[in-house]
Amino acid sequence: MKAVLQIALGIIAAIGGFVDIGDLVFNSQAGAVFGYELMWAVPIGVLGIGLYAEMCGRVAAVTKRPVFDVIRMRLGLTTGLIVLVASLFVNLLTVAAEIGGVGLLLQLFFDAPFTLFALLGALALATIIWFVPFEGLERLFGYAGLALFVFVAAALYLGPDWHSVARGFVPEAKSSTLYWYFVVGLVAAALMPYEVYFYSSGAVEERWGPGDLRVNRLNAVIGYGIGGLLSLGIMVSAAQLFAPAGVSPDHLGTVPLLAQVPFGETGLLLALLGMLFAIGGAAVDASFAGAYSIAQFAGWEWGKYRRASGAPRFTLAWLLFFALGLIVLMTGIDPLDLTEYSVVLSVVALPLTYLPVLLIARDRTFMGDHVNGAIAGSLGWVYFVVLVVVAVVAIPLLLATNAGAG
Amino acid sequence: MVACGCALLAGCGPLDRAELGRGVESLSALAAEGQLLADGVVQDRTRSTHTRVHAGTLAGDAAHEAQKLADATVEAGADRERDEAVAVAQRLDDALGELETFPGGERTAANVHRALTKIQALGDHRGHADDLERLAGRIKDGA
Repeated sequence: MKAVLQIALGIIAAIGGFVDIGDLVFNSQAGAVFGYELMWAVPIGVLGIGLYAEMCGRVAAVTKRPVFDVIRMRLGLTTGLIVLVASLFVNLLTVAAEIGGVGLLLQLFFDAPFTLFALLGALALATIIWFVPFEGLERLFGYAGLALFVFVAAALYLGPDWHSVARGFVPEAKSSTLYWYFVVGLVAAALMPYEVYFYSSGAVEERWGPGDLRVNRLNAVIGYGIGGLLSLGIMVSAAQLFAPAGVSPDHLGTVPLLAQVPFGETGLLLALLGMLFAIGGAAVDASFAGAYSIAQFAGWEWGKYRRASGAPRFTLAWLLFFALGLIVLMTGIDPLDLTEYSVVLSVVALPLTYLPVLLIARDRTFMGDHVNGAIAGSLGWVYFVVLVVVAVVAIPLLLATNAGAG
Repeated sequence: MVACGCALLAGCGPLDRAELGRGVESLSALAAEGQLLADGVVQDRTRSTHTRVHAGTLAGDAAHEAQKLADATVEAGADRERDEAVAVAQRLDDALGELETFPGGERTAANVHRALTKIQALGDHRGHADDLERLAGRIKDGA
């Protein structure tokens, strides 16, 4: 039981990368438009984020330095500042999108104006964060978000063509720009930098030391594995239900239909609840990631384990993220558009986030005997090349496909 | 920001046949989704709040598509298809609006389901104007 409770950090961090508001819709669109053909992109994302999250957690456990500390130390003040600004911008868009997602889901539950529910959702999240300790937040949002397993059950219940499913794990070279837009989107979403800012800072919050490296590995493998499985569950359900019917899932309210059609009202409720906690958890991830980044870069006291008076600027920072996110949302921007742009724009920060982690994880002066092994080191560099390619092609693909609209 | 701006600008300009075809395809997707939603009501396997809110969202999309198509300048020879697409979008808006108004009514939902099925693919005995598949085909062929 203790081991199960210890993987909450990995689960809540993974939820942000695989089943937040944008991913829920993006995964169902991938299944609706391309059937099973894009499934191979999910394990690529899972392996990449699992690999780097394990490194970030290990670096945090051994050196007590979370990712943004490492970024500033390795890249220096100027480049570090560029990464900080890019990350804060993306985090703000993400927080706004997730608050919007919470508002939309509350609206689907209770049928009242979206603006009111977005405001109430943001207030509720801020109140929960204020009163609940870090471990409680992880467990509340991480485990309640697991109601999303209803999509995996739906995928199995609907009886997929297993031959096609297996073929979906084999990459295909296609000339369609829309196909590659989805591939890049799926990989980039899995590797969103805020996940590792949150994960590595969470490791410090939980006071991990070298003795916790097994827990770190479990979190990276199981947490992100679950994220990937949920993502595949949505894609496979959409391939079976939306693709043949010709449904194009452009709204958050479309996604729960994947569980409602096979399981009726119970399926719908489970899907809505899972989505509410997953998106709420992603809002916590993103707001904390922003506050962690700025506090670590500026050298402020930080941490949820401290009282608000012990880390006042950190506390003000995450509260500000919620307030600014609400302001962004009140301009009338569609939360789904926000998250799509935040994923694509975050790719700019991808290589600059992961390179310093890769460098320090192989540095024996910092890591002692816990440096990267041959496999982690080699895979780390392979993925760094993938990240650079993703960073180069993401924005041209966004423009060429009119943000996926074709 | 530049990317956002460029992506937004990409939607401007007169509507060619390909864009009109995409508009019709999105109407077809709305009709398909509306059928799924209505089916849940017919079988009493859903919640009325979800149906009401989501049907309202889809109806809003149909109305927006109707306005967008009606306001757009289309290339020569595509005016008739554009007008037919606008008429279909308005019918979609009406059908989905009915589901929004009566989200728990099984009989209403059955009627809406029939209407949407007819709009999407089956055509209508009075003519072909509301047969989205044929309309999309004609637009692509440049007929």
